[in-house]
Amino acid sequence: MTPPASALRPLRGLRLDLSRRTCDEEQLPAGVARAWLGGRGLGACLALRERLFEVEPLAPENLLIFAPGPLTGTGAPASGRYSVTGRSPLTGTVFDGNSGGNFGNALRRLGWDYLIVTGALEEPGYVTLGTDDARGEAPAGAPEPVAGAQPLGGSGGATLHPAAGLWGLDVPASLERLRGLHPGSEAAVIGPAGERGVLFASIVNNRGRSIGRGGLGAVMGAKRLKGLVVDGHGRRTPPVADPERLEFIVYEAEKLLKSNPITSTALPEFGTAVLVNVLDQAGALPTRNHRESRFEGAAAISGEALKREHVHRRSACRGCIIGCARRTTAGGESGEGPEYESIWAFGAECGVSDLTAIVQANYACNRAGMDTITMGVTIACAMELTDLGLLPGGPRFGDARAIIDLAEATAAGEGLGAELGLGSARFAALHGRPELSMSVKRLEMPAYDPRGMKAQGLAYATSNRGGCHLRANMLGPEILGIPKMVDRFATLGKAGLLINIQNLNAVLDSLSVCKFTAFAMKEDYFARQLSAVWGEPVEPQELLLLGERIWNAERIFNLAAGFTRADDTLPPRLLHEPVPAGPSAGQVVDLPPMLDEYYISRGWDGGGTPSAAKLERLGLSEVAAAAGVAPGTPRAEGTAAR
Amino acid sequence: MSSAVLEQFRAVGRDLFVAGAISSHGGNLSVRMGDRILITRRGSMLARLEERDVIETGLEENDANVMLASTEINVHRAIYLGTAAQAIVHAHPPYAIARSLMCDEIIPIDSEGSYLLHKVPVVHTELTAGSKEVAELLPRWLKEYDLVMLRGHGPFAIGHLLEEAYQLTSVLEMSCRIMTIADGLGEQVREYRKGSERYETW
Repeated sequence: MTPPASALRPLRGLRLDLSRRTCDEEQLPAGVARAWLGGRGLGACLALRERLFEVEPLAPENLLIFAPGPLTGTGAPASGRYSVTGRSPLTGTVFDGNSGGNFGNALRRLGWDYLIVTGALEEPGYVTLGTDDARGEAPAGAPEPVAGAQPLGGSGGATLHPAAGLWGLDVPASLERLRGLHPGSEAAVIGPAGERGVLFASIVNNRGRSIGRGGLGAVMGAKRLKGLVVDGHGRRTPPVADPERLEFIVYEAEKLLKSNPITSTALPEFGTAVLVNVLDQAGALPTRNHRESRFEGAAAISGEALKREHVHRRSACRGCIIGCARRTTAGGESGEGPEYESIWAFGAECGVSDLTAIVQANYACNRAGMDTITMGVTIACAMELTDLGLLPGGPRFGDARAIIDLAEATAAGEGLGAELGLGSARFAALHGRPELSMSVKRLEMPAYDPRGMKAQGLAYATSNRGGCHLRANMLGPEILGIPKMVDRFATLGKAGLLINIQNLNAVLDSLSVCKFTAFAMKEDYFARQLSAVWGEPVEPQELLLLGERIWNAERIFNLAAGFTRADDTLPPRLLHEPVPAGPSAGQVVDLPPMLDEYYISRGWDGGGTPSAAKLERLGLSEVAAAAGVAPGTPRAEGTAAR
Repeated sequence: MSSAVLEQFRAVGRDLFVAGAISSHGGNLSVRMGDRILITRRGSMLARLEERDVIETGLEENDANVMLASTEINVHRAIYLGTAAQAIVHAHPPYAIARSLMCDEIIPIDSEGSYLLHKVPVVHTELTAGSKEVAELLPRWLKEYDLVMLRGHGPFAIGHLLEEAYQLTSVLEMSCRIMTIADGLGEQVREYRKGSERYETW
């Protein structure tokens, strides 16, 4: 049989310079795709190359790198995603987020593998790609376009539109207006939070699909860019070298997804909120700003309760058979979500068991374009300050009305909301108690208490973008038994497992596919899919090595930006305050030996810098040297297992 | 070594013996810890592992402990260096070994085996236990498959955890038992799996 022709080709990109009002095509060699894939990996590569570690996050020089991955739009399961990378104004680290929906697919159908946004507009605007106006045609039956649209210079075929009438609109209204102006197109926008510079503002597409957490929406707001509109409708699907082979692998992969109880039953029926009761029963549901790890109101805010009281239908990202998203109603309003972490942040973490209020607080964040985890945890921090008498008149644990009001005040920049918009680390420091921020590298940790899942503490501490479960979630091995159950209270012996998950997640974010597929599929399935798409052999080992390269590149970025081992830590509460009651009673995180084991396993020195041998093996020696990061000093003796 | 890691070795070793997948002193287990390796002692009884039976040594560099390690240590090292493995199980399950003497690949006919394995390559070398030839050959195959059968000797299975590699070993043996039973019935196997004709391309 004749092998298929290779579809691995140079990456086609656009550089949109808002200051110069140009949009030019550019290209990266196929070797870049082979080494970094796309999505998050490509973002890390470009962030280092463009020296974003020297750039102020809200300065025009910061970049927003939009990038789908090589599997986006190919028919691979749950692959309709895209990433955005830049330097985070919340954490100062390299930062990427990824989102489902249709935007990534549309960008790929237009033929673009990435889009770099640089510079800033003088007046708010939005940019269209591939739309009728960009082709010089008026859309039939469309509302009257905003006057003043002008084609941008360069070969990229983009058009800049004034955002008059859009700036100030919330996310749903912005998306609806853009859909009306540009029928059939997909848009990614910011809401009022991004416009006002809330440090955890999101970029949102498809109503509630967000590039969340690290405040890339604030970066977009600082560029005065309200939105990007892409029309890939009716365009070519991305090239697949061996469609028959891909169909076979996808069939086998979907068999796994359809038979796995998490991806076939729990997530479709209850959404991610199914985890509330699971984590509570394990004593790993952080409660009242992580003072406790069980919540007496868990049943009232569970996935089961959400389904019973608020969900009116399921929904799914394009090309996904899992369908974990929910359309809900609450208080006469309808919207998307909340996800598990949002329910937890406004619920257990704030001591609130009023699910309707939680759903409404989630809507408030979605309308404003704000990260729900950081919003909820920052409110919880304020509640603890109030409890300690350090914030007179502040919100109290259990105050359901406060979570809605404070989310809205934060979006509006009013009252206490103006301070909350800085995130919990800056907010707690402002009030003289920095240790009360439940964050790592100034990113708020989500809904998994490391005192009840020890390796999750190591995952948070070593995450390149701060306290985050999406870099690596030990929920699988420590709670759900995926791939197999490990002792969740054990301190040592889990670094290798964590590293593998971190590396694999870097691959998934770069392919770009949803991480939920990894509940059912191992890395060989992703390698086989990519091999069919490219028409070239791809081994699982190569993918994991690639993930390791991405992880180390991000580490180099952070080292160049001034981060050290001292930043790879957890809030003092988790290190020194034992859980008061429940299944995790008496537990704290003994982090230093875990960190030592992790660094050794990573091939880093005691300060967390990759060794010369590690850099060489990953092809990062030149990258590190260019960033001014000297190789780490090799350790003297191996003690990994001690 | 943490007690949790030792318990993983003990549980898998005991279960392999109870399942009849090893003889009294057969088989070996290891896990990778960064640039170190924990591997069962040469001549240890996997059903009765104590702390002294699990040896720590370098992944790439020898130290004195290498004298105590399994005779297969070079194969384990090569697999770790050439694949994504974090754990390795090597056993001697009789039905799988018997089947390996008759074919170049084992394609399970049962549902569980099809689901988890699709296809198991059977490879062979002149020298088997711990040989340099095996150390060169196996990583090449284990890059693509989580379980590879060394003809007449036994399977090498890899995973993120010992239990995962053990599961694959166990599933292979069960699949081979089922194939042997089905062969003995002397009837044509009726196909029930869509696309199974493509498993040989897995």
